[in-house]
Amino acid sequence: MLYKVMDKNVYQDFIKALISNYEFIGPARKDRSVHDFVPIKNISELDTNYMRTTIPPAKKLLFYPTEKLVNYEVGKSIDVKPVVESKERILFGINAWDINGMNFLDELFTTDFIDENYISKRKNLMVIGMDSQPTETNFSPSMGADYAKSGFDIYLTELKDKYFIRIGTARGNEIIQKYAEVRNATAEDFKDYDKYLDDYRMKFKLNVDIKNFYDNFELIYNNEEFWKKVAKDCYSCGSCNLVCPTCFCFNIKDDMELNLKEGNKIREWDSCMIPEYGLVAGGHNFRPNKENRLKQRYRCKLKTFIDKFGKYSCVGCGRCIETCLAKINIAEDINSVKREVSV
Amino acid sequence: MVLKTKNENKNSIYVPDIARISRIEKLSPTEKLFNIAFEDEEKQNNFKFLPGQFIELTIFGLGEAPFCLASNPNNREFFELCVRNAGNVSSALHRMEEGSKIGIRGPFGKGYFPFEKMRNHNVLLIAGGLGLVPLMSLIKYIMQHREDYREIMIVYGAVNPDSILFKNDIGYWSNRSDISICISVDNPDDKWTGEIGVCTKLIPRVNFPPEDTYVVVCGPPVMYKYVIVELEKKNFKPENIYLSLERRMECGVGKCNHCHIGNKLVCVDGPVFSLWEIINLKEAI
Repeated sequence: MLYKVMDKNVYQDFIKALISNYEFIGPARKDRSVHDFVPIKNISELDTNYMRTTIPPAKKLLFYPTEKLVNYEVGKSIDVKPVVESKERILFGINAWDINGMNFLDELFTTDFIDENYISKRKNLMVIGMDSQPTETNFSPSMGADYAKSGFDIYLTELKDKYFIRIGTARGNEIIQKYAEVRNATAEDFKDYDKYLDDYRMKFKLNVDIKNFYDNFELIYNNEEFWKKVAKDCYSCGSCNLVCPTCFCFNIKDDMELNLKEGNKIREWDSCMIPEYGLVAGGHNFRPNKENRLKQRYRCKLKTFIDKFGKYSCVGCGRCIETCLAKINIAEDINSVKREVSV
Repeated sequence: MVLKTKNENKNSIYVPDIARISRIEKLSPTEKLFNIAFEDEEKQNNFKFLPGQFIELTIFGLGEAPFCLASNPNNREFFELCVRNAGNVSSALHRMEEGSKIGIRGPFGKGYFPFEKMRNHNVLLIAGGLGLVPLMSLIKYIMQHREDYREIMIVYGAVNPDSILFKNDIGYWSNRSDISICISVDNPDDKWTGEIGVCTKLIPRVNFPPEDTYVVVCGPPVMYKYVIVELEKKNFKPENIYLSLERRMECGVGKCNHCHIGNKLVCVDGPVFSLWEIINLKEAI
C-alpha cells in the first residue's frame, strides 16, 4: 500500500484522462434516490455523491444475471468451446462495503476450482474506490465491512482540500503516475485522514449485535416458532438475493439456438428463497418451506463463511432491507436472535 | 487478495468432454445401466475416480445432471452409470441409444468411501433403493481386492423384487462364501421368499464388532435418520460411519451453492461424509 495525496484541482483532469483512455464505469443519477453504475463518456454524467444503488456495481460487471459459459455445435461431431469474456474496464466510485462484497466473490470463485468466467473479467477490472454516504439501513461497521483494506487498485478519500489516496496495486500506481500529480502523504495528511474516518464512522446509525451469533444461531435453529415469526410475510420472491453484493447462487442450463445446430451452456442467477432451490429429481425438496429457506439464507450470510473464509458473507449494505416487499429486516432479525437467546 | 490463475489448463471448469454410450442394459422397470467412454482415448486412459465420486452428465441442448459412478475404479476402459428415469436429463438419457454422444465433466467430490482405511476391517454396506448405485463402485473394488478386507456384509432394501438392481452381480456374490447379502423388500410378490420390510430392520442382526468395522450407508434422505439410530444402538462409531448425501448439484465445482449444507458443500466436500463430520450439521440428515 502506498499513501499519496492529490490536490483537489487535479482531480477533474485525472478523471477526464481516465474517461478518455478507458472504458469507464461510474455512478450516475438514475432518479431522485437511486444511482446506477453505467458507462461514463463525459465527466458531467458522473455523480460520486451517491447513497443508493440497487444492483451492486461489482456484481453487475463481473457476474451477469445470465451468462454464456460454453458454446457447442452439434453435428456429426460435437464441438465444444468455452466462452470467456474479458475486457479492460475501470470501475470508479465503488464504496468500501461493495468492495468487500466483491472480495468475497473473488475468494469464492477462486476456491477449490477457478471460475475463468468470473476471474477473467475480474483481472481486467481496475477498481477505484471512494466512500459513499451510508443509508439508514446500512450496518456495515457491525459486519466489519465499512472499510476496504484490499480489493481496490486505488482508493480515493475526499478531504477538505485534497484527496487522500491509498494505492493497493502496481497497476493502480502506474495509472496514478501516468495521469495524476500526487505527493507522498505527510503526518499532517494522515491526521486529517484519521479525523475524517472518525467522522465518517459516526454516519452509520444502525448497529447489530452479531458477536455471539455464531453459537446462538445453533440454539435458535430448531426454534420453529421463532422462524415462523421471522418468515411470516416472506413471499419467496428472491429480491433479497438479486440485490445482495455477495449472493452468487446460479443455475446451469443448456439451450439450443433457433438454428438447432448451436447450443449453449448458460448460467443464470438463482435464488435460495424460491421453492425450487432445493428440489431434486424424483420430487424431494430439501428446503420445502419458507422458514427453512430464510433460515438457511441467514446461515449462509452470517455463519457459513466464518468457517470457510473467516468472514461474514454479509457486508451490511442494507439493500435487502430496502428491497424486501415484506419488510423482512436482517438487522432486526440478528438482534432478535440475540434477544431470544439472552432472555 | 492475490487472484489465483490457472495456467496448466486453459479450459473452463464448465466445459464437458465428449463421451459415447457404448452399452445400455435395463436393470429394472425404471433403471438402466450405461457404459460410457470418452471419445478421446487419452482422456479415457487418464480418467481416474474414487468410489463414491460423481460426474456431471450433459445432454447437449437439454441439460446437465449429476450421477454417481457405479463401476469398479480399476476398470479403465469405460465407466458405468446407473440412472433412474426421474428427471429431465435422466429421462432423455433413457431415450438415448447405444452410440449416442453425451458430455461429461468430472469426477467430482473430495469425499469418497475410504477404501484405504477400510483395509483389514469389516465392512458393512447399507443401501436403500437407488442408494446401491454409489456403493457398487466400492463393493466391486473390495471384491477385487478381497484379501485386504475382513468380513463384508451388504444390507439392501428395495421397494419390490422387480426394483432390485444389479441382480447379476448380487446373484454371483450370493454364491460366494466371502460376502453375505441380506435383501429386504417392502412389497413382496408371490415368488419372494426373502425378508420383508425396510432394511433398517436387518441391522440389529449384524454382529460385527463396532471397534473394527466401517459402515457405509446410501439411500433416500428419509432412510438416514432411522439407520443411524440402529447403528448407534450397535455402538458403531460416528467416525467410522460413512454416508453419501444427495443434493441438487448444478455445477459440481462448489460455485452454484445449491448443495450447501451449512459450511459443507456436498459437491466439493462430499458427496460422502463421515457421520462425525456432519453430526451436528443442521439439515444434513
